[in-house]
Amino acid sequence: MDRRSAMKQLAILTGGAVLMPACDFSEESILQAYQNLNITQSNRALLTQVTNTIFPGTTLKKAEELMIPDFVLVMSNDCLDTEQQAGFVKGLKGWEDFSKKTFGKAFSKMDQKEAEEAIVKGMAMEGENESEAGNTRQFLNTTKRFALQGYLNSEYFMTEIKPYELVPARFYGSKLIENA
Amino acid sequence: MANLNIKSKKENSYDAIVIGSGISGGWAAKEFCEKGLNTLVLERGREVNHVKDYPTTNKMPWELEHRGGILQSVKEENPVVSRCYAYKEDTKHFFVKDTEHPYVQEKPFDWIRGYQTGGKSLLWARQVQRWSDFDFEGPARDGFAVDWPIRYKDLAPWYSHVEKFIGVSGNKDGKANLPDGEFLPPFELTAGEKYFKEFLKNNYPEREIVVARCAHITGNQEFYAKQGRTLCQNRTLCQRGCPFGGYFSSNSSTLPWAAQTGNLTMHNHAVVHSIIYNDEKAKATGVRVIDAQTKEMKEFYADIIFVNASALNTNLILLNSTSSRFPNGLGNDSGTLGKYVAFHNYRAGISAEYDGLKEYTTEGRRPTSGYFPRFRNLHKQETNFLRGYAAGFSSGRSTHSDYSGIGDELEQSMTKAPEYGPWRMGSHMMGETIPKEESQVSLDPTLKDEWGIPQLKISMDYDANDEAMIKDYLEQMSEMFDAAGFTNIRTRDDKRAPGLDIHEMGGARMGKDPNTSVLNEWNQVHACPNVYVTDGACMTSTSTQNPSLTYMAFTARAVDHAVKNRG
Repeated sequence: MDRRSAMKQLAILTGGAVLMPACDFSEESILQAYQNLNITQSNRALLTQVTNTIFPGTTLKKAEELMIPDFVLVMSNDCLDTEQQAGFVKGLKGWEDFSKKTFGKAFSKMDQKEAEEAIVKGMAMEGENESEAGNTRQFLNTTKRFALQGYLNSEYFMTEIKPYELVPARFYGSKLIENA
Repeated sequence: MANLNIKSKKENSYDAIVIGSGISGGWAAKEFCEKGLNTLVLERGREVNHVKDYPTTNKMPWELEHRGGILQSVKEENPVVSRCYAYKEDTKHFFVKDTEHPYVQEKPFDWIRGYQTGGKSLLWARQVQRWSDFDFEGPARDGFAVDWPIRYKDLAPWYSHVEKFIGVSGNKDGKANLPDGEFLPPFELTAGEKYFKEFLKNNYPEREIVVARCAHITGNQEFYAKQGRTLCQNRTLCQRGCPFGGYFSSNSSTLPWAAQTGNLTMHNHAVVHSIIYNDEKAKATGVRVIDAQTKEMKEFYADIIFVNASALNTNLILLNSTSSRFPNGLGNDSGTLGKYVAFHNYRAGISAEYDGLKEYTTEGRRPTSGYFPRFRNLHKQETNFLRGYAAGFSSGRSTHSDYSGIGDELEQSMTKAPEYGPWRMGSHMMGETIPKEESQVSLDPTLKDEWGIPQLKISMDYDANDEAMIKDYLEQMSEMFDAAGFTNIRTRDDKRAPGLDIHEMGGARMGKDPNTSVLNEWNQVHACPNVYVTDGACMTSTSTQNPSLTYMAFTARAVDHAVKNRG
């Protein structure tokens, strides 16, 4: 049994939080809501920083206010296959170190402009899916995709920015465009 | 079963039993109940009441946890239903999962099923094009299957009868190959569709597109108010169940209508095992039913039995109804029961762009599309394949938003109105397939379902005729698209398995000769005339039109016949 399944098994047996050693030798619990991802509170915090970089809340609302990090995690947990999940999780867990190594500064220490540049570069990384760069690319692109989907389909966006009509009660096949 | 006393026999007796509450079973129930017959409807699935049991119907997009997506684990465990275009987070509770009701695919077949009150009538695409004699005369003219025992004139009044009640939006187009019906106001064609229609008129005078007739209420409000239904509100969220009853389903229309007569008994969780045949009386006397939950077997009795279990499940029930008189399945003297099944060929499609009509767009939503009636081999054989195809055709103005950035750039772009792009044109084929003896369903000799009923083994496939038709559809459409000035023309053949069209038909076909068919011209089993089959199983050939309207018309006509000829 690999470590991942062992942890999962343990989680089922104990029915609660499982302790898992983190890199700094402190111990941090796994977020049980995302049982396929094996991620911790600090992983989630980092993801929140990434989504807040994508939606900083300068023109519209900040990602965090719309619970976008949770939506990204729900979708990654439920709607990705195991390979895609692995890429996402590895990329997320390695993102601090990767950014430090590649851009000379840990992502969490970056200001908005630096963070945006790091994400844009990270999304365009070349390399095999299995590689560190590949995992980073998958993590960032998945996060961007789900963050955008969650944002465009949020109550806020669909009521205040571009209202969605549940009941249009009309169809026009040839509507003249004003100022066309 | 041996201990059934007379009292319970009486309690379990009805004037008519209808097996299945889907689009045709609902019609049988309505017609019988209106005519005063004490009617039992057996539905294998759970109860779904109109509006009350549509849990997602008024949900906003953000209220769906996965914004419509299906869980990866569900997709992996249920590959068949996951391939259905309508299987989404907001509709999934109305579909059968592969794991719940296994069947045997001797050849790949995506069997899409809905086991609940209303069956798939909740989920259908609501397209209701009439057949014409170009369709009914197909087998006789082209020498396949057997001749239909009826013609258009036999069905025409019943098409009208059904259309008036269900509500059909459509335009009177005056086309011989797509007869007009009892129409409520049509939905509009889009500017792009009108352009193509006009182009065809000037360049291919034998070809025409029309707005597809669909079972939506667009007028005559007072009449439909009696059913508790009102105008379609263009939500296009139909498969959730419609709170307005804007489209027709058994749940919104025929079943409540039947219930209000006081003559309807609905029995849910009733898995039909077989039809009981009594040798002495030389007729069917009832139905054996297994309670889906308790697994207890019960019998119900009636003088008239309608089998409307959905095309392939109707075959299963008939094949499983064995007796000394019918050792190979009820009414199977000819040996054709379960054979000559067919489907619609939906494999190919085409898309393109058109750079004109810049000043137009569309607004609102439309629950139908354009429709390209069959033009191939219509009046005479003109290609290297038999029969032909109808096609969906739709066009809408594309819009584009640039969401490629991140940060404030992205937020700003999200506040802007989208930019208009070219008109997009799309079409998909709906090809007639030829029923053949080797295309068949049968009972698996060993595998059984949870209720001890044999699993259905399905074996049908595309043939050379279908391949030639796909090629022709793509060539013809590409040629017309190109000539119409469309660009970026892309063709596709998605190689989907049969079944995903959800138009499986046949197996208990109608015919004049009891030696080569199962049903007569009134949908009665030749050798057991108090059993009628009026769902997709009765179909002798498939034509190109979406078949549900024809099933409903057959059903109303058969009930009329059954009641008039009651002993």
